[in-house]
Amino acid sequence: MDVQVFVDLQDKLDQESTLREDIKNAINELYKTCRLASAKLAKAHAVPKSQTQEVTDAIKPQFETLRQNISTLAGLIQPVTFYKYHDMWTNAIQSAGSLVVFAIYLESARLATPDDIQAYLGYRVNTENANITEFVITLEEYLNAIVSLFNELSRLAVNAVIVNDIQRPQEISTFASELYAGFQLLNLKNDNLRRRFDSIKYDIKKIEEVQYDLRVRGLIA
Amino acid sequence: MDTSDDIQRPSAPSSEVTDSRPPKKPKFANNKPADTSMEDISESKREVLTLFTSYRDSLDAHHDQRERVIKCSRDITALSKKIVFSLLRITQESSPETVFNDAEKKHKQVLDLFRKISVELQGSNSLKYNRQATPGLQEYIEAIGLWTFLQNNVLITKDQVLERLSVPNADGVLTPLVSVTDEDYILGISDLPGEVNRYCINAIGKGDHEAVRRCLMFLRQMKEGINLLMCSGKVRDLDKKVAVLDSSLEKTERAYYSMSIRDSEMSTQSASRSMAIDA
Repeated sequence: MDVQVFVDLQDKLDQESTLREDIKNAINELYKTCRLASAKLAKAHAVPKSQTQEVTDAIKPQFETLRQNISTLAGLIQPVTFYKYHDMWTNAIQSAGSLVVFAIYLESARLATPDDIQAYLGYRVNTENANITEFVITLEEYLNAIVSLFNELSRLAVNAVIVNDIQRPQEISTFASELYAGFQLLNLKNDNLRRRFDSIKYDIKKIEEVQYDLRVRGLIA
Repeated sequence: MDTSDDIQRPSAPSSEVTDSRPPKKPKFANNKPADTSMEDISESKREVLTLFTSYRDSLDAHHDQRERVIKCSRDITALSKKIVFSLLRITQESSPETVFNDAEKKHKQVLDLFRKISVELQGSNSLKYNRQATPGLQEYIEAIGLWTFLQNNVLITKDQVLERLSVPNADGVLTPLVSVTDEDYILGISDLPGEVNRYCINAIGKGDHEAVRRCLMFLRQMKEGINLLMCSGKVRDLDKKVAVLDSSLEKTERAYYSMSIRDSEMSTQSASRSMAIDA
Protein backbone atom coordinates (compact mmCIF):
# COMPACT_ATOMS: atom_id res chain seq x y z
CA MET A 1 0.00 0.00 0.00
CA ASP A 2 1.20 3.41 -0.94
CA VAL A 3 1.00 6.42 1.35
CA GLN A 4 1.33 8.61 -1.74
CA VAL A 5 -2.47 8.43 -2.13
CA PHE A 6 -2.82 10.22 1.18
CA VAL A 7 -0.10 12.76 0.40
CA ASP A 8 -1.93 13.74 -2.79
CA LEU A 9 -5.23 13.99 -0.95
CA GLN A 10 -3.58 16.09 1.70
CA ASP A 11 -2.40 18.56 -0.94
CA LYS A 12 -5.92 18.87 -2.27
CA LEU A 13 -7.38 19.38 1.19
CA ASP A 14 -4.79 22.07 1.88
CA GLN A 15 -5.73 23.92 -1.29
CA GLU A 16 -9.34 23.63 -0.29
CA SER A 17 -8.86 25.11 3.13
CA THR A 18 -7.04 28.07 1.56
CA LEU A 19 -10.05 28.60 -0.67
CA ARG A 20 -12.38 28.34 2.31
CA GLU A 21 -10.39 31.04 4.06
CA ASP A 22 -10.75 33.33 1.04
CA ILE A 23 -14.47 32.65 0.89
CA LYS A 24 -14.79 33.40 4.59
CA ASN A 25 -13.03 36.71 4.15
CA ALA A 26 -15.29 37.66 1.26
CA ILE A 27 -18.34 36.75 3.32
CA ASN A 28 -17.13 38.85 6.24
CA GLU A 29 -16.87 41.86 3.95
CA LEU A 30 -20.39 41.15 2.76
CA TYR A 31 -21.66 41.00 6.33
CA LYS A 32 -19.95 44.27 7.16
CA THR A 33 -21.73 46.03 4.32
CA CYS A 34 -25.00 44.40 5.31
CA ARG A 35 -24.70 45.69 8.87
CA LEU A 36 -23.97 49.22 7.72
CA ALA A 37 -26.82 49.16 5.22
CA SER A 38 -29.16 47.68 7.77
CA ALA A 39 -28.32 50.41 10.28
CA LYS A 40 -28.97 53.09 7.68
CA LEU A 41 -32.17 51.51 6.49
CA ALA A 42 -33.50 51.19 10.04
CA LYS A 43 -33.92 54.97 10.05
CA ALA A 44 -37.00 54.41 7.95
CA HIS A 45 -38.73 53.32 11.14
CA ALA A 46 -38.23 56.71 12.73
CA VAL A 47 -39.48 58.98 9.96
CA PRO A 48 -42.88 59.58 8.39
CA LYS A 49 -43.63 57.95 5.08
CA SER A 50 -42.97 61.21 3.23
CA GLN A 51 -39.32 61.07 4.26
CA THR A 52 -38.53 57.44 3.56
CA GLN A 53 -37.31 58.36 0.10
CA GLU A 54 -34.35 60.13 1.70
CA VAL A 55 -33.55 57.02 3.71
CA THR A 56 -33.63 54.71 0.72
CA ASP A 57 -31.61 57.17 -1.35
CA ALA A 58 -28.97 57.33 1.35
CA ILE A 59 -28.45 53.58 1.22
CA LYS A 60 -27.72 53.42 -2.53
CA PRO A 61 -23.92 53.45 -2.08
CA GLN A 62 -24.19 50.42 0.22
CA PHE A 63 -26.12 48.53 -2.41
CA GLU A 64 -23.30 49.33 -4.81
CA THR A 65 -20.80 47.91 -2.29
CA LEU A 66 -23.01 44.88 -1.69
CA ARG A 67 -22.98 44.14 -5.37
CA GLN A 68 -19.20 44.36 -5.43
CA ASN A 69 -18.89 42.15 -2.33
CA ILE A 70 -21.06 39.48 -3.88
CA SER A 71 -19.18 39.68 -7.15
CA THR A 72 -15.88 39.18 -5.26
CA LEU A 73 -17.39 36.15 -3.54
CA ALA A 74 -18.77 34.78 -6.81
CA GLY A 75 -15.35 35.22 -8.40
CA LEU A 76 -13.90 32.71 -5.93
CA ILE A 77 -16.40 30.01 -6.78
CA GLN A 78 -16.11 27.70 -9.74
CA PRO A 79 -19.70 27.16 -10.89
CA VAL A 80 -19.31 23.37 -10.60
CA THR A 81 -18.38 23.65 -6.93
CA PHE A 82 -21.14 26.14 -6.16
CA TYR A 83 -23.12 23.78 -3.94
CA LYS A 84 -20.04 22.48 -2.19
CA TYR A 85 -19.47 25.81 -0.45
CA HIS A 86 -23.00 27.19 -0.70
CA ASP A 87 -23.75 26.69 3.01
CA MET A 88 -20.97 29.12 3.86
CA TRP A 89 -22.60 32.19 2.35
CA THR A 90 -26.28 31.40 2.28
CA ASN A 91 -27.03 33.42 5.44
CA ALA A 92 -25.06 36.40 4.20
CA ILE A 93 -26.91 36.40 0.88
CA GLN A 94 -30.20 36.18 2.77
CA SER A 95 -29.27 39.27 4.76
CA ALA A 96 -28.35 41.13 1.60
CA GLY A 97 -31.59 39.99 -0.01
CA SER A 98 -33.70 41.09 2.92
CA LEU A 99 -32.20 44.58 2.65
CA VAL A 100 -33.27 44.77 -0.98
CA VAL A 101 -36.73 43.49 -0.15
CA PHE A 102 -37.20 46.04 2.63
CA ALA A 103 -35.80 48.92 0.57
CA ILE A 104 -38.13 48.14 -2.31
CA TYR A 105 -41.10 47.94 0.00
CA LEU A 106 -40.21 51.34 1.45
CA GLU A 107 -39.78 52.85 -1.99
CA SER A 108 -42.85 51.51 -3.71
CA ALA A 109 -44.90 49.46 -1.24
CA ARG A 110 -44.58 46.28 -3.26
CA LEU A 111 -42.86 42.94 -3.08
CA ALA A 112 -39.37 42.77 -4.56
CA THR A 113 -39.37 40.38 -7.50
CA PRO A 114 -36.51 38.08 -8.44
CA ASP A 115 -35.70 40.62 -11.15
CA ASP A 116 -35.34 43.33 -8.51
CA ILE A 117 -32.95 41.14 -6.57
CA GLN A 118 -30.89 40.61 -9.68
CA ALA A 119 -30.88 44.33 -10.44
CA TYR A 120 -29.70 45.17 -6.91
CA LEU A 121 -27.34 42.31 -6.16
CA GLY A 122 -26.13 41.50 -9.65
CA TYR A 123 -26.99 37.80 -9.70
CA ARG A 124 -30.00 35.88 -10.93
CA VAL A 125 -32.44 34.19 -8.56
CA ASN A 126 -32.74 30.54 -9.55
CA THR A 127 -36.52 30.45 -9.21
CA GLU A 128 -36.95 27.40 -11.41
CA ASN A 129 -34.48 25.47 -9.27
CA ALA A 130 -32.67 24.55 -12.47
CA ASN A 131 -29.20 23.14 -12.97
CA ILE A 132 -26.77 26.02 -12.71
CA THR A 133 -23.69 27.04 -14.65
CA GLU A 134 -23.00 30.30 -12.84
CA PHE A 135 -23.24 31.88 -9.38
CA VAL A 136 -26.90 32.29 -8.46
CA ILE A 137 -29.09 33.33 -5.58
CA THR A 138 -31.23 30.35 -4.65
CA LEU A 139 -35.00 30.37 -4.40
CA GLU A 140 -34.74 29.52 -0.70
CA GLU A 141 -32.50 32.52 -0.12
CA TYR A 142 -35.00 34.78 -1.86
CA LEU A 143 -37.91 33.38 0.16
CA ASN A 144 -35.95 33.71 3.39
CA ALA A 145 -35.22 37.31 2.51
CA ILE A 146 -38.94 37.91 2.14
CA VAL A 147 -39.69 36.34 5.52
CA SER A 148 -37.46 38.96 7.12
CA LEU A 149 -39.73 41.63 5.68
CA PHE A 150 -42.62 40.58 7.95
CA ASN A 151 -40.54 41.46 10.95
CA GLU A 152 -39.76 44.89 9.56
CA LEU A 153 -43.42 45.41 8.66
CA SER A 154 -44.65 44.69 12.16
CA ARG A 155 -42.17 47.19 13.51
CA LEU A 156 -43.11 49.68 10.85
CA ALA A 157 -46.80 49.43 11.75
CA VAL A 158 -46.05 50.40 15.34
CA ASN A 159 -43.66 53.15 14.32
CA ALA A 160 -46.08 54.61 11.80
CA VAL A 161 -48.46 55.31 14.66
CA ILE A 162 -45.64 56.94 16.61
CA VAL A 163 -45.06 59.41 13.78
CA ASN A 164 -48.81 59.97 13.61
CA ASP A 165 -49.50 58.14 10.38
CA ILE A 166 -52.56 56.14 11.33
CA GLN A 167 -53.46 55.12 7.79
CA ARG A 168 -50.22 53.28 7.18
CA PRO A 169 -50.86 50.27 9.43
CA GLN A 170 -53.88 49.51 7.27
CA GLU A 171 -51.74 49.49 4.12
CA ILE A 172 -49.12 47.37 5.86
CA SER A 173 -51.72 44.92 7.07
CA THR A 174 -53.23 44.42 3.63
CA PHE A 175 -49.80 43.96 2.09
CA ALA A 176 -48.64 41.56 4.79
CA SER A 177 -51.73 39.40 4.69
CA GLU A 178 -51.57 39.12 0.90
CA LEU A 179 -47.95 38.08 1.15
CA TYR A 180 -48.69 35.65 3.93
CA ALA A 181 -51.37 34.04 1.77
CA GLY A 182 -48.65 33.51 -0.80
CA PHE A 183 -46.39 31.80 1.71
CA GLN A 184 -49.21 29.54 2.79
CA LEU A 185 -49.23 28.08 -0.71
CA LEU A 186 -45.78 26.59 -0.18
CA ASN A 187 -45.30 23.00 0.93
CA LEU A 188 -42.45 23.45 3.32
CA LYS A 189 -40.25 20.74 4.73
CA ASN A 190 -39.03 20.78 8.26
CA ASP A 191 -36.15 23.11 7.46
CA ASN A 192 -34.95 26.58 8.24
CA LEU A 193 -37.44 28.23 5.92
CA ARG A 194 -40.26 26.37 7.63
CA ARG A 195 -39.19 27.56 11.08
CA ARG A 196 -38.99 31.12 9.91
CA PHE A 197 -42.32 30.80 8.12
CA ASP A 198 -43.87 29.68 11.40
CA SER A 199 -42.79 32.95 12.99
CA ILE A 200 -44.61 35.07 10.40
CA LYS A 201 -47.92 34.69 12.21
CA TYR A 202 -46.58 36.54 15.23
CA ASP A 203 -45.64 39.49 13.05
CA ILE A 204 -49.07 39.42 11.43
CA LYS A 205 -50.62 39.39 14.89
CA LYS A 206 -48.62 42.44 15.93
CA ILE A 207 -49.76 44.33 12.86
CA GLU A 208 -53.37 43.37 13.55
CA GLU A 209 -53.06 44.52 17.13
CA VAL A 210 -52.00 47.96 15.96
CA GLN A 211 -55.05 48.13 13.75
CA TYR A 212 -57.23 46.94 16.56
CA ASP A 213 -55.91 49.64 18.87
CA LEU A 214 -56.60 52.30 16.31
CA ARG A 215 -60.03 51.02 15.43
CA VAL A 216 -61.19 50.45 18.95
CA ARG A 217 -60.55 54.10 19.63
CA GLY A 218 -62.38 55.11 16.50
CA LEU A 219 -59.21 56.54 14.96
CA ILE A 220 -59.65 54.61 11.75
CA ALA A 221 -62.77 53.30 10.13
CA MET B 1 -67.76 54.27 23.33
CA ASP B 2 -70.12 52.96 20.66
CA THR B 3 -67.39 51.03 18.95
CA SER B 4 -66.28 49.20 22.03
CA ASP B 5 -69.90 48.17 22.60
CA ASP B 6 -69.81 46.74 19.17
CA ILE B 7 -66.84 44.59 19.86
CA GLN B 8 -68.12 43.19 23.11
CA ARG B 9 -71.13 41.74 21.35
CA PRO B 10 -70.37 41.75 17.68
CA SER B 11 -72.89 39.27 16.31
CA ALA B 12 -76.20 39.53 18.13
CA PRO B 13 -77.61 43.04 18.39
CA SER B 14 -77.36 44.22 14.82
CA SER B 15 -80.91 45.68 14.79
CA GLU B 16 -80.57 48.09 17.67
CA VAL B 17 -77.16 49.39 16.64
CA THR B 18 -77.92 49.89 12.95
CA ASP B 19 -80.53 52.48 13.96
CA SER B 20 -78.05 54.67 15.78
CA ARG B 21 -75.27 54.69 13.17
CA PRO B 22 -76.01 52.72 10.05
CA PRO B 23 -72.87 53.50 8.01
CA LYS B 24 -70.36 52.37 10.62
CA LYS B 25 -71.77 49.00 11.54
CA PRO B 26 -71.85 47.47 8.03
CA LYS B 27 -68.28 48.59 7.49
CA PHE B 28 -67.10 46.83 10.58
CA ALA B 29 -69.08 43.71 9.78
CA ASN B 30 -67.90 43.66 6.17
CA ASN B 31 -64.30 44.27 6.92
CA LYS B 32 -63.43 40.84 8.25
CA PRO B 33 -64.97 38.58 5.63
CA ALA B 34 -63.85 40.87 2.82
CA ASP B 35 -60.23 39.76 3.26
CA THR B 36 -61.04 36.16 2.60
CA SER B 37 -63.93 36.44 0.17
CA MET B 38 -63.12 35.11 -3.26
CA GLU B 39 -64.88 37.68 -5.41
CA ASP B 40 -62.76 40.49 -4.13
CA ILE B 41 -59.19 39.32 -4.81
CA SER B 42 -57.13 42.38 -5.53
CA GLU B 43 -54.73 42.59 -8.42
CA SER B 44 -51.72 42.63 -6.10
CA LYS B 45 -52.92 39.58 -4.22
CA ARG B 46 -53.46 37.67 -7.45
CA GLU B 47 -49.91 38.52 -8.50
CA VAL B 48 -48.51 37.26 -5.21
CA LEU B 49 -50.50 34.05 -5.44
CA THR B 50 -49.34 33.39 -9.00
CA LEU B 51 -45.71 33.96 -8.07
CA PHE B 52 -45.87 31.76 -5.02
CA THR B 53 -47.63 28.98 -6.93
CA SER B 54 -44.64 28.81 -9.25
CA TYR B 55 -42.27 28.90 -6.27
CA ARG B 56 -44.21 26.06 -4.73
CA ASP B 57 -43.72 24.00 -7.87
CA SER B 58 -39.96 24.57 -7.85
CA LEU B 59 -39.68 23.81 -4.16
CA ASP B 60 -41.75 20.64 -4.56
CA ALA B 61 -39.59 19.51 -7.47
CA HIS B 62 -36.50 20.08 -5.34
CA HIS B 63 -37.87 18.19 -2.34
CA ASP B 64 -39.03 15.29 -4.52
CA GLN B 65 -35.66 15.01 -6.18
CA ARG B 66 -33.97 15.10 -2.79
CA GLU B 67 -36.24 12.30 -1.57
CA ARG B 68 -35.44 10.17 -4.61
CA VAL B 69 -31.71 10.60 -3.99
CA ILE B 70 -32.12 9.65 -0.32
CA LYS B 71 -34.11 6.52 -1.18
CA CYS B 72 -31.71 5.39 -3.86
CA SER B 73 -28.72 6.09 -1.65
CA ARG B 74 -30.30 3.95 1.04
CA ASP B 75 -30.77 1.10 -1.42
CA ILE B 76 -27.14 1.39 -2.48
CA THR B 77 -26.11 1.23 1.17
CA ALA B 78 -28.15 -1.92 1.77
CA LEU B 79 -26.80 -3.72 -1.27
CA SER B 80 -23.22 -2.64 -0.57
CA LYS B 81 -23.54 -4.05 2.94
CA LYS B 82 -24.59 -7.35 1.36
CA ILE B 83 -21.45 -7.27 -0.79
CA VAL B 84 -19.36 -6.71 2.34
CA PHE B 85 -20.99 -9.69 4.06
CA SER B 86 -20.48 -11.89 1.00
CA LEU B 87 -16.82 -10.91 0.91
CA LEU B 88 -16.32 -11.62 4.60
CA ARG B 89 -17.48 -15.18 3.98
CA ILE B 90 -14.18 -15.65 2.17
CA THR B 91 -12.65 -17.39 5.19
CA GLN B 92 -15.48 -19.95 5.16
CA GLU B 93 -15.30 -20.81 1.48
CA SER B 94 -12.92 -23.28 -0.07
CA SER B 95 -12.07 -21.00 -2.97
CA PRO B 96 -12.04 -17.19 -2.95
CA GLU B 97 -13.33 -17.26 -6.52
CA THR B 98 -16.83 -18.32 -5.43
CA VAL B 99 -16.95 -15.33 -3.09
CA PHE B 100 -15.78 -12.90 -5.75
CA ASN B 101 -18.25 -14.31 -8.27
CA ASP B 102 -21.09 -13.84 -5.82
CA ALA B 103 -19.93 -10.29 -5.12
CA GLU B 104 -19.70 -9.62 -8.85
CA LYS B 105 -23.38 -10.57 -9.26
CA LYS B 106 -24.40 -8.16 -6.52
CA HIS B 107 -22.12 -5.52 -7.98
CA LYS B 108 -24.16 -5.61 -11.20
CA GLN B 109 -27.27 -4.84 -9.17
CA VAL B 110 -25.55 -1.94 -7.45
CA LEU B 111 -24.59 -0.53 -10.81
CA ASP B 112 -28.28 -0.59 -11.77
CA LEU B 113 -29.01 1.51 -8.69
CA PHE B 114 -26.22 3.89 -9.63
CA ARG B 115 -27.76 4.20 -13.09
CA LYS B 116 -30.97 5.27 -11.37
CA ILE B 117 -29.35 7.77 -9.03
CA SER B 118 -27.13 9.23 -11.76
CA VAL B 119 -30.24 10.71 -13.40
CA GLU B 120 -30.73 12.87 -10.30
CA LEU B 121 -27.09 13.85 -9.99
CA GLN B 122 -26.36 15.52 -13.30
CA GLY B 123 -24.41 18.78 -13.48
CA SER B 124 -24.68 21.03 -10.45
CA ASN B 125 -27.12 18.60 -8.83
CA SER B 126 -24.21 16.29 -8.19
CA LEU B 127 -22.94 18.50 -5.38
CA LYS B 128 -26.33 19.91 -4.50
CA TYR B 129 -27.54 16.48 -3.40
CA ASN B 130 -24.12 15.20 -2.34
CA ARG B 131 -25.11 15.15 1.29
CA GLN B 132 -28.03 12.84 0.49
CA ALA B 133 -26.05 10.67 -1.94
CA THR B 134 -22.83 10.34 0.03
CA PRO B 135 -23.90 7.65 2.58
CA GLY B 136 -24.62 5.16 -0.20
CA LEU B 137 -21.52 6.12 -2.11
CA GLN B 138 -19.33 5.72 0.99
CA GLU B 139 -20.77 2.31 1.73
CA TYR B 140 -20.13 1.30 -1.88
CA ILE B 141 -16.51 2.49 -1.70
CA GLU B 142 -16.11 0.52 1.50
CA ALA B 143 -17.44 -2.62 -0.20
CA ILE B 144 -15.24 -2.44 -3.29
CA GLY B 145 -12.36 -1.28 -1.10
CA LEU B 146 -12.61 -4.46 0.95
CA TRP B 147 -12.84 -6.43 -2.27
CA THR B 148 -9.66 -4.84 -3.62
CA PHE B 149 -7.88 -5.43 -0.32
CA LEU B 150 -8.84 -9.12 -0.27
CA GLN B 151 -7.90 -9.58 -3.89
CA ASN B 152 -4.68 -7.58 -4.17
CA ASN B 153 -3.80 -6.54 -0.63
CA VAL B 154 -3.77 -2.84 -1.60
CA LEU B 155 -5.85 0.23 -0.85
CA ILE B 156 -8.29 1.07 -3.62
CA THR B 157 -7.55 4.40 -5.33
CA LYS B 158 -10.14 6.97 -6.27
CA ASP B 159 -9.48 6.27 -9.95
CA GLN B 160 -10.20 2.60 -9.38
CA VAL B 161 -13.47 3.52 -7.68
CA LEU B 162 -14.46 5.61 -10.69
CA GLU B 163 -13.44 2.74 -12.97
CA ARG B 164 -15.72 0.33 -11.17
CA LEU B 165 -18.54 2.88 -11.43
CA SER B 166 -18.06 3.26 -15.17
CA VAL B 167 -20.36 1.98 -17.86
CA PRO B 168 -20.17 2.58 -21.62
CA ASN B 169 -21.97 5.74 -22.66
CA ALA B 170 -23.79 6.29 -25.95
CA ASP B 171 -20.47 6.40 -27.84
CA GLY B 172 -19.22 3.28 -26.12
CA VAL B 173 -16.72 5.20 -24.01
CA LEU B 174 -16.50 4.12 -20.39
CA THR B 175 -17.73 6.94 -18.16
CA PRO B 176 -18.46 6.98 -14.42
CA LEU B 177 -22.16 7.00 -13.57
CA VAL B 178 -21.68 9.45 -10.74
CA SER B 179 -18.87 11.72 -9.69
CA VAL B 180 -16.95 10.96 -6.51
CA THR B 181 -15.60 13.81 -4.42
CA ASP B 182 -12.41 13.52 -2.40
CA GLU B 183 -14.54 13.61 0.73
CA ASP B 184 -16.70 10.71 -0.48
CA TYR B 185 -13.54 8.73 -1.16
CA ILE B 186 -11.83 9.56 2.13
CA LEU B 187 -14.92 8.80 4.18
CA GLY B 188 -15.53 5.62 2.20
CA ILE B 189 -12.07 4.18 2.74
CA SER B 190 -12.01 5.20 6.39
CA ASP B 191 -14.86 2.72 6.91
CA LEU B 192 -12.57 -0.04 5.69
CA PRO B 193 -10.67 -0.74 8.95
CA GLY B 194 -13.80 -2.07 10.68
CA GLU B 195 -14.32 -4.65 7.95
CA VAL B 196 -10.63 -5.51 7.69
CA ASN B 197 -10.67 -6.16 11.43
CA ARG B 198 -13.65 -8.51 11.05
CA TYR B 199 -11.84 -10.38 8.30
CA CYS B 200 -8.74 -10.55 10.51
CA ILE B 201 -10.63 -12.11 13.42
CA ASN B 202 -12.15 -14.70 11.06
CA ALA B 203 -8.68 -15.42 9.70
CA ILE B 204 -7.32 -16.03 13.20
CA GLY B 205 -10.09 -18.57 13.72
CA LYS B 206 -8.86 -20.33 10.61
CA GLY B 207 -5.25 -20.06 11.75
CA ASP B 208 -4.30 -18.06 8.66
CA HIS B 209 -1.31 -16.21 10.11
CA GLU B 210 -0.31 -14.62 6.84
CA ALA B 211 -3.74 -12.99 6.45
CA VAL B 212 -3.58 -11.60 10.00
CA ARG B 213 -0.19 -10.09 9.32
CA ARG B 214 -1.47 -8.51 6.08
CA CYS B 215 -4.44 -7.00 7.93
CA LEU B 216 -2.23 -5.48 10.59
CA MET B 217 0.13 -3.96 8.01
CA PHE B 218 -2.81 -2.56 6.08
CA LEU B 219 -4.45 -1.02 9.13
CA ARG B 220 -1.19 0.58 10.27
CA GLN B 221 -0.71 2.17 6.89
CA MET B 222 -4.30 3.37 6.85
CA LYS B 223 -3.75 4.91 10.27
CA GLU B 224 -0.62 6.67 9.08
CA GLY B 225 -2.39 7.95 5.97
CA ILE B 226 -5.53 9.14 7.72
CA ASN B 227 -3.40 10.92 10.31
CA LEU B 228 -1.82 12.89 7.48
CA LEU B 229 -5.28 13.96 6.34
CA MET B 230 -6.33 14.96 9.82
CA CYS B 231 -3.54 17.54 9.82
CA SER B 232 -5.01 19.31 6.80
CA GLY B 233 -8.44 20.62 6.08
CA LYS B 234 -11.57 19.56 7.84
CA VAL B 235 -13.50 16.64 6.42
CA ARG B 236 -16.95 16.34 7.91
CA ASP B 237 -17.45 13.23 10.10
CA LEU B 238 -13.87 12.04 9.66
CA ASP B 239 -13.19 12.30 13.41
CA LYS B 240 -15.79 9.68 14.22
CA LYS B 241 -14.37 7.31 11.66
CA VAL B 242 -10.85 7.82 12.99
CA ALA B 243 -12.07 6.67 16.40
CA VAL B 244 -13.38 3.47 14.79
CA LEU B 245 -10.08 3.06 12.95
CA ASP B 246 -8.14 3.37 16.20
CA SER B 247 -10.25 0.76 17.95
CA SER B 248 -10.05 -1.60 14.96
CA LEU B 249 -6.29 -1.26 14.92
CA GLU B 250 -6.11 -1.92 18.64
CA LYS B 251 -8.37 -4.97 18.38
CA THR B 252 -6.26 -6.35 15.56
CA GLU B 253 -3.04 -5.78 17.48
CA ARG B 254 -4.51 -7.51 20.55
CA ALA B 255 -5.64 -10.43 18.43
CA TYR B 256 -2.23 -10.71 16.80
CA TYR B 257 -0.65 -10.54 20.25
CA SER B 258 -2.80 -13.37 21.66
CA MET B 259 -2.11 -15.42 18.59
CA SER B 260 1.65 -14.92 18.97
CA ILE B 261 1.54 -15.85 22.66
CA ARG B 262 -0.48 -18.94 21.98
CA ASP B 263 1.89 -19.97 19.23
CA SER B 264 5.02 -19.56 21.29
CA GLU B 265 3.31 -21.33 24.19
CA MET B 266 2.41 -24.21 21.91
CA SER B 267 5.88 -24.43 20.45
CA THR B 268 7.57 -24.37 23.92
CA GLN B 269 5.00 -26.86 25.20
CA SER B 270 5.50 -29.20 22.30
CA ALA B 271 9.26 -28.67 22.63
CA SER B 272 9.24 -29.56 26.35
CA ARG B 273 6.89 -32.44 25.68
CA SER B 274 9.25 -33.81 23.08
CA MET B 275 12.15 -33.28 25.52
CA ALA B 276 10.18 -35.20 28.18
CA ILE B 277 9.60 -38.02 25.77
CA ASP B 278 13.28 -38.04 24.89
CA ALA B 279 14.15 -38.28 28.57
